[in-house]
Amino acid sequence: MSSGKLLDSSLKIDWLFIGLVVSLMACGLVLVYSATIMDEIPFYRTYWFKQLLHFLGGFVVASLLVFVKIDWLKRAAVPLYIVSLILLAVVLFVAGDVVKGAGRWIDLGLFKLQPSEFAKISYLLVISYWLSRHPVSLYKVKSFAVPFVLFIVPFGLVLKQPDLSTALTFIAVTLVGFFFAGLTLTDVFLMVSPVVSVLFSHSQSIGYEILWGLLICAVVFALVRRRLPKVLTVIFLAANILAGYASSMVWNMLEPHQQKRVNTFLDPMSDPMGDGYQVLQSITAIGSGGVSGKGFGNGTQTNLSFLPEEHTDFIFSVLGEQFGFVGCAVILVLFALFLWRATSVCKLTPDPFVTLVTMGASTIFLFHILVNIAMTIGLMPVTGLPLPFLSYGGSFALTCMVLVGFLLCLRYQCRRR
Amino acid sequence: MRSSSTDNEILQRKNWSVLVYMVGVVVLFGVLLIRLFVLQYVHYDENMRRSDNNRLRRVDLVADRGFIYDRNGEVLVRNRPSYQIALQAGSLPRSKSGKDSVFRNLLKIRNKSGERMFDSLAVDTAFQRSLWIKNRPIRFYEDASQEQVAVVEEHSSELPGVVTVIESRREYPYGTLASHVLGYTSEITEDQLKLPEYEGYTQGDRVGQKGLEQAYDKDFRGKDGVKLVEVNASGREVGLFQGVDGQDPVPGLSLVTTIDLKLQKAAEAAIPDSARGALVAIDPRNGEILAMVSSPRLDPNIFSLKRRERNKGWAQVALDSLRPLTNRAISGTYPPASVFKLVTAGAGLESGLLSENKYYPKPCSGGYQYGNRYQKCWGYHGNLNVVNALRLSCDVFFYQAGLDIDMERINEFGRRFGLGEELLGVDIPGERAGWLPDSVSFNKRNKRNGWQWARGLILNLSIGQGQIVTPLQQAVLVGALATNKGVYRPHFMKELRDAQGNVVRRYEPEIIRPGKMKAETHRVLMNAMDSVVNHPGGTGKRGALPGIKVGAKTGSGEWKRGEKTHAWYAAVAPLENPEIAVAVIMEAAGGGGSVSAPIAKKVLMAYFNLEDSH
Repeated sequence: MSSGKLLDSSLKIDWLFIGLVVSLMACGLVLVYSATIMDEIPFYRTYWFKQLLHFLGGFVVASLLVFVKIDWLKRAAVPLYIVSLILLAVVLFVAGDVVKGAGRWIDLGLFKLQPSEFAKISYLLVISYWLSRHPVSLYKVKSFAVPFVLFIVPFGLVLKQPDLSTALTFIAVTLVGFFFAGLTLTDVFLMVSPVVSVLFSHSQSIGYEILWGLLICAVVFALVRRRLPKVLTVIFLAANILAGYASSMVWNMLEPHQQKRVNTFLDPMSDPMGDGYQVLQSITAIGSGGVSGKGFGNGTQTNLSFLPEEHTDFIFSVLGEQFGFVGCAVILVLFALFLWRATSVCKLTPDPFVTLVTMGASTIFLFHILVNIAMTIGLMPVTGLPLPFLSYGGSFALTCMVLVGFLLCLRYQCRRR
Repeated sequence: MRSSSTDNEILQRKNWSVLVYMVGVVVLFGVLLIRLFVLQYVHYDENMRRSDNNRLRRVDLVADRGFIYDRNGEVLVRNRPSYQIALQAGSLPRSKSGKDSVFRNLLKIRNKSGERMFDSLAVDTAFQRSLWIKNRPIRFYEDASQEQVAVVEEHSSELPGVVTVIESRREYPYGTLASHVLGYTSEITEDQLKLPEYEGYTQGDRVGQKGLEQAYDKDFRGKDGVKLVEVNASGREVGLFQGVDGQDPVPGLSLVTTIDLKLQKAAEAAIPDSARGALVAIDPRNGEILAMVSSPRLDPNIFSLKRRERNKGWAQVALDSLRPLTNRAISGTYPPASVFKLVTAGAGLESGLLSENKYYPKPCSGGYQYGNRYQKCWGYHGNLNVVNALRLSCDVFFYQAGLDIDMERINEFGRRFGLGEELLGVDIPGERAGWLPDSVSFNKRNKRNGWQWARGLILNLSIGQGQIVTPLQQAVLVGALATNKGVYRPHFMKELRDAQGNVVRRYEPEIIRPGKMKAETHRVLMNAMDSVVNHPGGTGKRGALPGIKVGAKTGSGEWKRGEKTHAWYAAVAPLENPEIAVAVIMEAAGGGGSVSAPIAKKVLMAYFNLEDSH
């Protein structure tokens, strides 16, 4: 099979895409193996073997999804969304497994269901379904009403769990959805700008003040270029300035220990004994990998178990220590290729639903990749987002494979028509 | 149907958007790559040094637990260092054969008499646990001696991953002294971890159980600290990790109690450990508890021993039929017996239904006919007034008085001075409520066995058979009767001090019951309490002190047919200006005047620094 044929967009099945998924999974298994190997445990109880079973199960699900008609997906969107809201409410108010920290799980005896994972998928379908029929525009503010309601309910329920990082995934999916349903890049920037204002102005250091000034200039420039209705122009500008001043006022009203908490979240290294401890260990592990790494099975940091969650959230530091910059770069290239093949699905048909599901699914992957890796190298707060295909975990592996299944399905069904 | 040209436009616009998206992806991945490059290439040496030559370990520093002192600053509870031998999972050899050799080397170590120092089962369990507990040492030998520690350190090169951990354990220098008041510490239980009041505690924490150790656990704990240390390849500390500050532990607060060691010692000496009984000495002017004994006792030191000895000691006290774990002084519930006659008399005087010179129609001829029932008295007392009736503890007088005054008035008077169902709220856990029955509560409590309230029950109740009190309540009762200035909450805490000795919190005495009566009532009751001890024929004459006027009331509580009575004695001294109230109960020991009065006398002698004349 020549490479030309491999990239032939008329193929019903994207073998390159599948190949990338399998390669990433294989890397994941190797890393989980090296992070958790102990010679005393029989192989069927090891993490890597369980993860292999997760992947195989996921492949079965993904293969079945290929044969689902696009119309069925559209029709299932609303019912699935309602079911997922009910599950979220149940886990929050009734059956939350309190022992496991936050109430995120429903124990069904055989296995534990994580409704927030299910909600990621159902929300992707429902927002895509709505936006595909009702494009949004800043000139018609009403067009945001229904998407906002669709968004805020699962967002609030997940935030209440509390699971901030998953909640932020919803925001990412929504913004990308808007971008592909009628908004320009400038519009998206304007919508995000008040939040950035809050971040830039919470502390009164001069560096942040300058950044905030630049941001306001950019907002004004965008507003002038965009020629929005006057009311909206005023609202965006006021929102930014108010957010800026309010955040620094609220910040000054906080008790010192509360300020410390926020700072620790934004910059874990400011608390090297708490969250920062993990990040410090992770950075040391990755940094000591050097260019080519210490070699498979030779990660002293991981072997000494300095990293508490090395096989789940901090799997990337296992990679960085053992395979170095080269290994990290290879994985990032694999991810980039994966996203390229994933997004290319939407070029096959003008159907906006296909576009939105494709881009939304890609965004879920992208968001997890960025937030997780940035966390392990100390660029972002420590949140509990796993790395797709590499982190150990059954629920999330299934979510990933369902999304992969959607992408395969959309391509297969578009080509069939 | 849309035309294909619009479709093309849509596709073109979409291609453009996807391109923008992918450019974004590449830019963001580029940022990650730059950061990775900085970490792995630019800062490689620094990170490599940290990771390879030096290993970082986080060490939790447990804060010192606060001490407990008596009121004069004598140490009642302190800490001692305790050496634990443990496995540090991270420093153990990775391979199975390496672990096996550490295991074998451990079992090779023998003590002077040639026995194996470590139990192979305990060591094996620790190795099992080391598979999943990575971040803290796993103890397999507790409370090792200095020599044992030295032997292990000597063999350290053959034992990578075996470390000695110093912990601090509780030490009770006086052994069983006041053991029920002090309590003990042990590892937090699974059940406790689930309770809201133990939020913030983690598995393995040592917490106070029972007594003051439990009541003031949060104050004793202090705040644990943490430090980052560099360890060498065999897991031993080589120094502090530079550049990151740890947190020093903040030692816990120390408790200065109201207990008087001298008095407590005298009380403990007066009650043989084989006996069942309790003693409470209290300052009625502010509620300070000066001494509290519950017998049989236990030695809280057993809970600081290594597991095997601890379990043995625990089994002994937990299975003992005499229930040495119970603090009888606050959890023991007894009939108040004749001590309650003070309440019956007080209620009568207070209501005017009784006066100093009132005589009842039936003189005591050894018993009293009520309906078709004949209630006995313990002697033949003839015709008596209230003071003499109390002095001789005549039942017939109080049968008639009780019927005359009625339970509502009697119970109200009792509650006014600390008896009844409401807890006194002493600051150690385990206090049990008393009970002053009336027709309503009697029927309610006895619903199941079908007993009905009858007026004849007043006969028993007026002489203190049928109510429930604790020894603490009895001490509070006589103290408050004598002061006539209100009932203060009994308590052990005087003040809390920090490690530098500064007072952080002081106990404010608190009036919890009115505890007041008419001056005339007070005068008559005091005369009676005086006569019980100091007048000829008084039942409490064995409690008299030379030079100091003691007032008291005896009691002999019937609790089971054919058994000796519970011996009660409740005294106050000096009667004119009360400083101390003592209540003593000896279970199934006989008459209060003969058994318990001498015990209380010894405590009062110690309080007033009197020499024993015998």
